[in-house]
Amino acid sequence: MHERLSYYVKRDSTLHRLNPLTKFILALSIILISIFSPWYWTPHILFLFAIIPLCFVGRVSWEFFMSAFRLIIPAASFIFIMQAFFQPDGQTIIFEFWFLDVTEESLAFAFRIATRITVMISAFTLLLMTTHPSELMSDLTRRGLPGQFAYVIISTLQILPQMQAKAQTIINAQRSRGLDTQSSFIKRAGSLIPLVGPLVFGSLVEVEERAIAIEARGFTSTHVKTSLHDVPDTSADKVLRWLLVVLVIISLALNLWLS
Amino acid sequence: MAIINLQNVTYKYPLTDAPVLQNINLQVNEGEFVAVIGPNGAGKSTLCYTIAGFVPHFFKGEITGTVEVAGSESSKSSLHEWVLNVGLAFQNPFNQISGAKYTVFEEIAFGLENIGVPREEMRLRVEDALKLTGISDLADRSPYSLSGGQQQRVALTSILVMQPKVLVLDEPTSQMDPIGTREVFGVIRKLSEKGMTVVMVEHKVEWIAEFADKVVALHNGSVLLEGNPQEVLTSDLLTDKGFGISRYTSVARKAQELGMWKHNNLPVTLDEAVAGFKR
Repeated sequence: MHERLSYYVKRDSTLHRLNPLTKFILALSIILISIFSPWYWTPHILFLFAIIPLCFVGRVSWEFFMSAFRLIIPAASFIFIMQAFFQPDGQTIIFEFWFLDVTEESLAFAFRIATRITVMISAFTLLLMTTHPSELMSDLTRRGLPGQFAYVIISTLQILPQMQAKAQTIINAQRSRGLDTQSSFIKRAGSLIPLVGPLVFGSLVEVEERAIAIEARGFTSTHVKTSLHDVPDTSADKVLRWLLVVLVIISLALNLWLS
Repeated sequence: MAIINLQNVTYKYPLTDAPVLQNINLQVNEGEFVAVIGPNGAGKSTLCYTIAGFVPHFFKGEITGTVEVAGSESSKSSLHEWVLNVGLAFQNPFNQISGAKYTVFEEIAFGLENIGVPREEMRLRVEDALKLTGISDLADRSPYSLSGGQQQRVALTSILVMQPKVLVLDEPTSQMDPIGTREVFGVIRKLSEKGMTVVMVEHKVEWIAEFADKVVALHNGSVLLEGNPQEVLTSDLLTDKGFGISRYTSVARKAQELGMWKHNNLPVTLDEAVAGFKR
């Protein structure tokens, strides 16, 4: 079984040591600036001169490039192709394919959108790689995020693979009793129906037990919750957060002013 | 002085007609180990939930009579205060894992975070609890990567770390293999020896005979028998009412009919049976 379900890469780096909220705001500001900024090349510059260097600062460059190949490049290429072919504006036709035109304008637009998507996914990949999920949650809870909300998010992340494993067990059990799971698509879709009952109702029963289990450990206690992890929040963190907020506001203002 | 005191407790789940518990009177002294046995539907789990405060606070329904633990009354308390008096662990170890934590150490600290224990104290208490149940070596593992017996010990530890006055266990080994069962019972025995008051529902009669100070036999929501393990576990009444009994008792009873067992008391464990047949 998997030891840990998250993108988190355990390292010691400046980026790892930053407060989780600072990293969250960093990721969010990179995304917002790439959207708001009126200059064409902003997303590209952010990717090359913010995200790539940050991978090295966070000492996760290898893991980052691996996930770039698996997730980011396929997603960005898909967006690029769609936009290049289906963007209706544009006069300068480069080539035609059937009824679809690829124009200079649509290519430029597609390149920008694809880079934006790349920036978005990479910023959050970087956040998840350098931030332990329980640290992020305990920091957000300390700042007033309701404990129940944090619990729902983090337990969903952990329970999904468990549900997957259980679905597999049920499928195997039904297969051994002659359920057809390998013929035509329609038949296979039909054979999913008997899976739903045991999986869903089984999970509902489990929910009650789990509710009892966490209740038995004071989940609804009215005390102010404490946290096992000490999540440091330095003055450098605070300065960085404000700086980022100011940068986002400036890019938003420029966007409104120039358009 | 009884630390657990149930007086005339009758309880009905919402949307059902018949009461699950009827007129239960049960006193458990401090440090005592009480085992509860009974066929399916006898109300064993409901009894556990009642002592642990989940009946009626969590399940609602109608309850009459009084439930007292360490001098305070369940109906006058709220559930999140009550769980500090009574710790509850149950069958499925997997469902007792919070799902919000990535290591065993964090998992055990979960309850202490909820009740607002300061960080330094929290670490000490988790470390002590891990040592008590002998799972310090699992501290950095993911709770989901453990075996059933290990998970159940994690569940027990995460309850113990809350320092309850009483421990209620609802068939803690029913989903364990023999190795897991031995691991879990080992921990429970150690706790009992250290003076913890334990109420445990259990089917494994031979283990009960070895552990318990007192056995309560529950049938159709009422107490059928109550007394020392030897007397209760070998009573004729149990076989008639569909209780699971020890195979050694069955063998000796058959032998008694054939005139091969010459003692008045029937055995519960292998050792008792061997000793009885030798003499």
